[in-house]
Amino acid sequence: MSITLDQITKHYGGAPVVNDVSLDIGDGEFFVLLGPSGSGKSTLLRAIAGLSRIDHGRIALHGRDVTHVAARKRGVGLVFQNYALFRHMTVAENIEFALRVRRMRARARRERRAELLRLVALEGLDDRLPAQLSGGQQQRVAVARALAHKPEVLLLDEPFGALDAKIREELRRTIREVQRELGISTVLVTHDQEEAFALADRIGIMNYGRLLEVGVPHDLYSRPATRFVATFLGAANLFLARRTAEGVQLGAAVMPPATATPGEREQEVVAVARPEEVEVAASREELGSRYLGRGVVDEVMFTGALERLRVRLANGADGPLLVMAGAEGEENGALQVTRTPASQRDLELRPGQRVAIGVRRVHVLPTPLSSFTACAMSASLAEELVRQPLLAELVARTLTRVAVRVEPQLGDPAAAPAAPAVGFSGTTVMSGSDGESAQRAEWLLRRGAKDLLVLPPDTAAPQRVLIHWMGEAARSATLAMSASVLRHLPAEAVYVGIFPRESADARQAQGLRALLDARSEAQAAHGLEMRTELRFGEPASELSARLAEAPAQMLIVGVTELSRFGERFRALLDGGRWPVLIVQRGPA
Amino acid sequence: MSFRQASVLPGFGLTFGFTTFFLSTIVLLPLAALVLAAGSMHWSDFWHVVTSPRALGSYRLSFGASLLAASINLVFGFIIAWTLTRYEFPGRKLIDALIDMPFALPTAVSGIALTTVFASNGWIGRYLEPLGVHVAYTWLGVTLALTLISMPFTVRAVQPALLEVQRDLEDAAETLGAARPYVFRRIILPTVLPALLTGFTLSFARAVGEYGSVIFIAGNLPMKTEITPLLIVIHLEEFDYRGAAALGVVMLTLSFAVLLTINLLQGWGRRRHVRAAH
Repeated sequence: MSITLDQITKHYGGAPVVNDVSLDIGDGEFFVLLGPSGSGKSTLLRAIAGLSRIDHGRIALHGRDVTHVAARKRGVGLVFQNYALFRHMTVAENIEFALRVRRMRARARRERRAELLRLVALEGLDDRLPAQLSGGQQQRVAVARALAHKPEVLLLDEPFGALDAKIREELRRTIREVQRELGISTVLVTHDQEEAFALADRIGIMNYGRLLEVGVPHDLYSRPATRFVATFLGAANLFLARRTAEGVQLGAAVMPPATATPGEREQEVVAVARPEEVEVAASREELGSRYLGRGVVDEVMFTGALERLRVRLANGADGPLLVMAGAEGEENGALQVTRTPASQRDLELRPGQRVAIGVRRVHVLPTPLSSFTACAMSASLAEELVRQPLLAELVARTLTRVAVRVEPQLGDPAAAPAAPAVGFSGTTVMSGSDGESAQRAEWLLRRGAKDLLVLPPDTAAPQRVLIHWMGEAARSATLAMSASVLRHLPAEAVYVGIFPRESADARQAQGLRALLDARSEAQAAHGLEMRTELRFGEPASELSARLAEAPAQMLIVGVTELSRFGERFRALLDGGRWPVLIVQRGPA
Repeated sequence: MSFRQASVLPGFGLTFGFTTFFLSTIVLLPLAALVLAAGSMHWSDFWHVVTSPRALGSYRLSFGASLLAASINLVFGFIIAWTLTRYEFPGRKLIDALIDMPFALPTAVSGIALTTVFASNGWIGRYLEPLGVHVAYTWLGVTLALTLISMPFTVRAVQPALLEVQRDLEDAAETLGAARPYVFRRIILPTVLPALLTGFTLSFARAVGEYGSVIFIAGNLPMKTEITPLLIVIHLEEFDYRGAAALGVVMLTLSFAVLLTINLLQGWGRRRHVRAAH
């Protein structure tokens, strides 16, 4: 491995800007760090270069630990968005800078300079000043300068940001060629997914300081694991669908499962259909793919090779409701479709036209966070719950919607739910403001709520999320839920392992092993980086003690059975001091 | 540039007219009057006045102390500007505002304040005296006064240039293997050099013309701590207007020569780069 990052964390003013990032980049690999501005990608790059100190973690370049090595001794080449050429020096002096620092002989310097100028196709411009060059030429000089001292790693920070489209493409090709020719491990930071696709061997996508997913461009595009990646890498239609024994039910269509997951209970899931996988036809019979529902063409946009459509869903009486995951008012229900010239010729479309919609392929996201249902004893209380800042933030960040469910007898042990026929789907949310939270939570869990978020009033986004499960059966689901929540919140994850206090000494080794197991499972199966803590005592009281230690913490706790629930959870839930997300998975 | 090009200010003709008018009435006319007044002297009289040992001593002090003061400001003004642009610390705004104080104070006040502190019984002077360092009433005091009143020029000239040296340039140099002193010498200094020279020139010009603050701390011993502006005033007090004018012309010539040299040096530095580019 030429670049190894191990649990890199950097805080800025309390909030993590780089959050537990671990990554291996191979020899000669072209790795692209992709993310929106403020996602921490540039900070991570500067940390690799040694220009930005990290608070935690380890950086190794070609097996050499450089965590505490100064930037000038790391042997990296760095290219900046604004070129950062030395304006009082000529092109030749700029390129030879690193060689001069190393006291290389004039003749050897000249030879190396000629070689580099050939590499970036700038022969003969040795004596120009940067101000006399175009932006594209300046960036070529910057690349040549960064390569002069034969660095082991080339780092590029938005190198095309300041260039216009045509120059950008030329320079992109040059950089790819240079990288191949030298076989140098390269990390490029960008917010442009097209650029990432064009250059990358592998892409790592960052958001809120976390490295969300890493993979080859095609896999990330066709099988994203998170909503963020699905929508950030090109356009995506997100649906709320149901996974049943037959497959994924999406509107009128039932898609056979791509991978069989036997024993999986029926549940709400988030399905992704790319605009090019959606088909429109004049009638249901003319569709070449599975019928999804009806729609009305809203907008037709010609973009050269492809035609872009927006089709508004018109859910009729002829099939189950098709629900888009996003909840952006009028925008909801507008499907994005792209069509090739061939299908444009077959059927000409105008705004206002009624069409049948089909889908060729959908991808189901592995996230357990599908949608939210705010549950309260009255509609006004439920509406109040919807406006809670943490819930509003989660809903906005997971691009989903929040439904309202009124249970007048919430918490009354004698009463059945108002509408027992309709099960709880997605994550149920209840208010955790008073002394009866544990009782109400039990009531909801006993009546079918699987994931329950107990939300005290005015809770802001947590800075730390504690994770624990009571019973091994809930382990995998709790980790999956934690991974999903933490992908949408800029918080650090801490797994708290708790063992009985008696025989603590004997349990120490066993406990540590359990922590390591939990950590590696989180990393391998769910892409979640978490720290671990070991405590001894009774779980609920240990957890509430830990939660009381610092403000802005949240708990995600897995449970397997509900016996003595009120007794066990009173300390955690009553009084409403922190948000608690309960993940219930009975032993199958 | 075309004369008809639209601009915020009314036409080129009008603005150019104003410029010439103001320069003429405020700068050129008085200077011409000065030269004329001196010109009405007989050549040998003129020569006698401007080469008297007392006059020569005053030139040496005036220009020597001014150059020294400007050089001191070159170093310390740079350090102050660096601190103010590079670091965030409590009270930064206050210090930034303090820099301009010498501009606002009547120079006589600065002179009196300095004398109070550095006189042989002053706050600092009393500790320097036993060490054999006499500040007040020596050339050292003159230099100190000139340094104080010309310091803002260097700081204010260098500050914007330092802001322009982007952090990226230093980062780039560092990743290329350069240590901090090397980065300073090869990257930061060359970038701010023109601004430093401008600051030096302005400081020097201000120091040569200074009168108010110096006369209090200098002691004004002929040949030793008497600056040329003071000598001119002495001539005036004796109603020797021509003698004063003659000394004025010499100061004018010498100052102009120094400023022109620095300007030419700067221009030469710039041209050297452009030439290197072809």
